[in-house]
Amino acid sequence: MITRYIAIAVLLFLPLPIVIVVLSSFTAAGYLSFPIKGLSLRWYAEFLGSADWLRVLGVSALLALIGACVSTAASFAAAWAVVRHNMRFGTTYETLLLTPLIFPHAAIGVIMIMTLSGLGWLGTFSGLVLVHCILTIPYAYRPIVAALRKADPALEEAAQSLGARPWRTFWLVSLPAVRPGLVTSLLFSFIISFDEVTVTLFLVGPFVMTLPVQVFSEVLESASPIIAAVSAALVLFTSLMVFILDRVIGIQFFVERD
Amino acid sequence: MSRPLRIAVLLLPSAILMGVFLFGLVRLIGSSLLIEGRLDFAYYDAILSRADYVAMLGRTLRTAAMTTFVCLVLGFPTAYFVARYRGNRNFLLLLIIFPWLVSIVVRSYGWVVILGPRGLINSLLTWSGLAARPLKLMYNDFGVILGLAHVLLPFMIIAILSVMMQIPRNLEEASMSLGGRPGYSFRTVLLPLSLPGVLTGITLVYLMATGAIVTPLLLGGLGNTMLGTEIFQEVMHFFDYPKAAALATVLLVTALAVVLPIQILERWLARRLSDGGAA
Repeated sequence: MITRYIAIAVLLFLPLPIVIVVLSSFTAAGYLSFPIKGLSLRWYAEFLGSADWLRVLGVSALLALIGACVSTAASFAAAWAVVRHNMRFGTTYETLLLTPLIFPHAAIGVIMIMTLSGLGWLGTFSGLVLVHCILTIPYAYRPIVAALRKADPALEEAAQSLGARPWRTFWLVSLPAVRPGLVTSLLFSFIISFDEVTVTLFLVGPFVMTLPVQVFSEVLESASPIIAAVSAALVLFTSLMVFILDRVIGIQFFVERD
Repeated sequence: MSRPLRIAVLLLPSAILMGVFLFGLVRLIGSSLLIEGRLDFAYYDAILSRADYVAMLGRTLRTAAMTTFVCLVLGFPTAYFVARYRGNRNFLLLLIIFPWLVSIVVRSYGWVVILGPRGLINSLLTWSGLAARPLKLMYNDFGVILGLAHVLLPFMIIAILSVMMQIPRNLEEASMSLGGRPGYSFRTVLLPLSLPGVLTGITLVYLMATGAIVTPLLLGGLGNTMLGTEIFQEVMHFFDYPKAAALATVLLVTALAVVLPIQILERWLARRLSDGGAA
């Protein structure tokens, strides 16, 4: 009985701060307060009228897009070697790909400073792309390898024995079989990368900035309701991605074990 | 192409990415241990001999442990409720997954709006006359643990839920129909079988809490430093990279000291459970 009360309270508690942020973005006042003082869209107008905020939004979207494509492609290749070529030490390699997950984020941040300063890429867009690929690989790999394990290799053999060349087999048989895994991997890594802040805040500089890091530094420095409007835009964007994910594979994907 | 060559080509992109990560890890440890090319523990001595740093380390471990405890106490019943829910379970999943995917900056900021001096709770308290002046609900340990628990709770719920969904409902029913009381079937059937998920959840939440920066900084302020926020200060304000590297290594070692034994226990448990199922 008490289980149910705790569960219902938790399920209401989880979306609460997000709802509050979205509601507070409609304030007419010049400072942040809740309940809001008056109703207005002025902070959205300010956000959409600001070249700085829009540029940062563009950087974040481009970064997430490139990062998601690269880590999905890299994960696909690795999963192919592990599953289809049944390579030795396949499980060990999988564990290696998942190692970034067992590192605390603040430590990863400093590790990445060391990496990028070693390469001379600190504070550059390419540096951020590299780091975001490393961070999203564990999320990209899992859905792909699960899809690949489910796909039947006999179909490829059938295509080949009917005379299809390897590339044709790959495009017409293998790729469609793992398409849901690839789409999931792309969307999931896109979200992770687009929202990432703890590691990225060590790596931004005067020439490159991401939207969540910009929001973070604004919250530290000011109480302007424009942050609420930008946050609401981030929330809207995430809802869109979750909606697509739910349509493509179903939300229960996140609680399935392979 | 021969098979080994083909495997090598396929692994190349991911191996480069992981190689780059390991390169940074080696440089991290190197720069905290090498002073002018010699092995020197001066940075670690400086950290461990300062009382305020030792206190900060203690606060980090305590906050992470408290957060993990809160997440477990709230997350386990929630996972159980969702796993056994007979109605529209996807809607409940959405209430967990959607907040989980919203950036932690936005969620922590939401707590600033709720707990702040002109926020939701203080507005309610002063409006109803329960408090004459706004209460200090953030910039203290309470705010930090509340925010961290909220941000990390979905990890705990998802970890436990993904194991619980695999446990057939009729296993509990069988235990009850054989005369086991609900508490007894819970202890002997559900709890042991869901333990791997609980351990995964504890690992994830503990790791994320020890290495957190954004939530402790927004809800704890600059006074209540934790290892993560201290590292952030060293890098962003003092540009002291070797010291930040030493602090990050301390963070890494203390986190792995807690997490690796749990991981080993979980592997062992998973093997035992699957053996038990086969026998």
